[in-house]
Amino acid sequence: MRRITTILAVMGIVAAACGGGGATEETAPGQTTTTTTAAPATTATTAPPATAEPIKLGSVNSLTGQIVFPEASAAAKAVFDRVNAEGGIDGRPIEYLIEDDAADPAGAAQAARRLVEDEGVVAMVGSASLLECAVNGAYYAEQGVYAIQGTGVDPLCFASSNISPVNTGPYLGYTVSLYFASEVLGKDRVCALIFDIPDFRPAMDAAIQQWRDLTGKELHFSNFTLQFTDDVTPFVLQARDAGCEVVVSNGLDVHYIGFMQALQAQGIDDMAWVGLTSGYTADVAETLGSIGAGSGILHVNSEFEPFTLDSPVLDDWRALMTEAGVPLTSFAEGGYLAATIMVDVLRGIDGPITRESVSEALLALEGYEHPMIGSPYSFGDAPAHNPNRASKFLRLEGGEWQLATDDWVVLPTG
Amino acid sequence: MLNTAIASLTSGGAYALLGVGLVLTYRMTGVLNFAHAVVGAFGTYTAIVAFEVGVPYGLAMVAGIVVAASVSAGIGLVMARWFAEATTIVRSTVTIAVFLGVLVVGFRLFGDTPRVVPAILPGVRVEVATVTLTASTLVAVGGVAVLAAAVAWFLAKTRTGIILRAVSERPTTARLLGAPLQTLVVAVWAVSGAVAGAAVAIIAPTRTNDYASLAILILPALAAALLGGFRRVGVTILAGFGIALVELLGARVPAVAQYRTVVPFVVILGALLWMQRKEVWDEAR
Repeated sequence: MRRITTILAVMGIVAAACGGGGATEETAPGQTTTTTTAAPATTATTAPPATAEPIKLGSVNSLTGQIVFPEASAAAKAVFDRVNAEGGIDGRPIEYLIEDDAADPAGAAQAARRLVEDEGVVAMVGSASLLECAVNGAYYAEQGVYAIQGTGVDPLCFASSNISPVNTGPYLGYTVSLYFASEVLGKDRVCALIFDIPDFRPAMDAAIQQWRDLTGKELHFSNFTLQFTDDVTPFVLQARDAGCEVVVSNGLDVHYIGFMQALQAQGIDDMAWVGLTSGYTADVAETLGSIGAGSGILHVNSEFEPFTLDSPVLDDWRALMTEAGVPLTSFAEGGYLAATIMVDVLRGIDGPITRESVSEALLALEGYEHPMIGSPYSFGDAPAHNPNRASKFLRLEGGEWQLATDDWVVLPTG
Repeated sequence: MLNTAIASLTSGGAYALLGVGLVLTYRMTGVLNFAHAVVGAFGTYTAIVAFEVGVPYGLAMVAGIVVAASVSAGIGLVMARWFAEATTIVRSTVTIAVFLGVLVVGFRLFGDTPRVVPAILPGVRVEVATVTLTASTLVAVGGVAVLAAAVAWFLAKTRTGIILRAVSERPTTARLLGAPLQTLVVAVWAVSGAVAGAAVAIIAPTRTNDYASLAILILPALAAALLGGFRRVGVTILAGFGIALVELLGARVPAVAQYRTVVPFVVILGALLWMQRKEVWDEAR
């Protein structure tokens, strides 16, 4: 037995090696890549391609690692490529610099400094990162650089004077989902199952508090301790035993599949489920459709015009993404929207386009309407920005996403 | 509450199967196999990839188990060839190297994004009063019962089983007496790999997986095998079910819910302390 004791001591080392090294096997920080898009796209052009001094825009993205967000910057790049092919902004092409932070704080900090100080970008646009806002928010404020975030993820994306995301994000998005469950679906016993991401907890608490303040209601049951690789069955059973009518959960796309599989395995079909935009993917619908789970139960919010539907609002987006080979997802909508707003801002500037003039234009940007979003985008000089307060909700029906709400569910202010 | 306990049977069955595999290789070939779960994870991921490219579910799972058995047999061959005379500590340390190797190769091949594994017979369940038994629960519990019976019979009643026990105790003597050492060892490793592949395949559909989290199933398996003293198959099985039950029930208690994933470590520490309780300083040092 003593031999085993000795060997088990070694096991700690293995566990450590696995826990630390395993998760980031292919994501050595610092391996950032820079993609410039100065070369015009090969689309048919109506105007000569822009050749004057480029306008530099930057973005910091999590492109390698366990959770990646490649679509937003790819979509933004497609928008800028088209602008360049059509003659740029008053003859000046846009040079769009995409940096990878590998979901590493040091990588994100370096990327921002490279873009802001070495490249001298006039603004940041279309970024989508696990931690970029938390790392760089204060730096942008110090440097006077403003960012139209393509996909705000970490809480500080929605709490910075210099960052205004086009998406609702997982916190206000959670408030909207709770609001949808209690006010639109009209369920009484609203429950919360939440994956435990330590740094995100205060923002989630604030999101739930906001729902309480708006509706005067309380959660019937909640559990904040789910882990990403848990068997979710006990939590689903807990919610059922507590008598929940509807469960509102966060999570990645795969988790919604897991929840629906667990509900199906347990034969629970009288409890509604509401998820965030992360669950709104074609894969989720297809996978659940193929095993016949979640139909009529799973609802997800779409922070933009729902991309799986044949909405004419999305014709241009769909054509451009398809041509550029960008997957049709919510993230691609965010990147497209951020880039489109930026192009309009740049076009609206009289005189030279510099970091100062772009910043000034963004600070004056209020009430920007676009049919892809249900509440106007704004920047302005507020200490924090979360302008997208509207969602459309979809329900899974036989492996297809159907509109659960024709109109936008807009979160009341105040 | 009862349904939560029932739901833990799937994980428990998988822990028990993995634990029994560890006991098997330890008793028969004298190796504490740290690569046990990662080999199973490798097989299961092969099955997932096969399923994704269109291979029917059942066939893909069988292919995964075959891959796990083959990889494990390969490790067994290395053990029999080059480490037959080495001490248990050396051989076990070799499996740590193998563990890391298979882990890294798996990352290269399969990536590290979480994947969804379709359930075994989705929607199939047996309801007894208020208790729901899912297909995966039945497969897990049934698999454990069959394996336990087979191992007990094989070790106690068959000549091969007895020879294997002899091989693990005194390899050279056994070989001098004419035991076909290499073939037997490789066969044991292959069987143990197949069991690991099946265990991981059973547990994979019940949770959102990434490759690393499946490989780390070695921890509850080690805890279970340790409670069984790396000898007693029955105790190992009970321990596997017990650890899963504690983990899942822990999720219901807010005060400990956040810490439930450390259950295997607590079990390992507790077991080690208990086993050392009669050691005197000089010996235990």
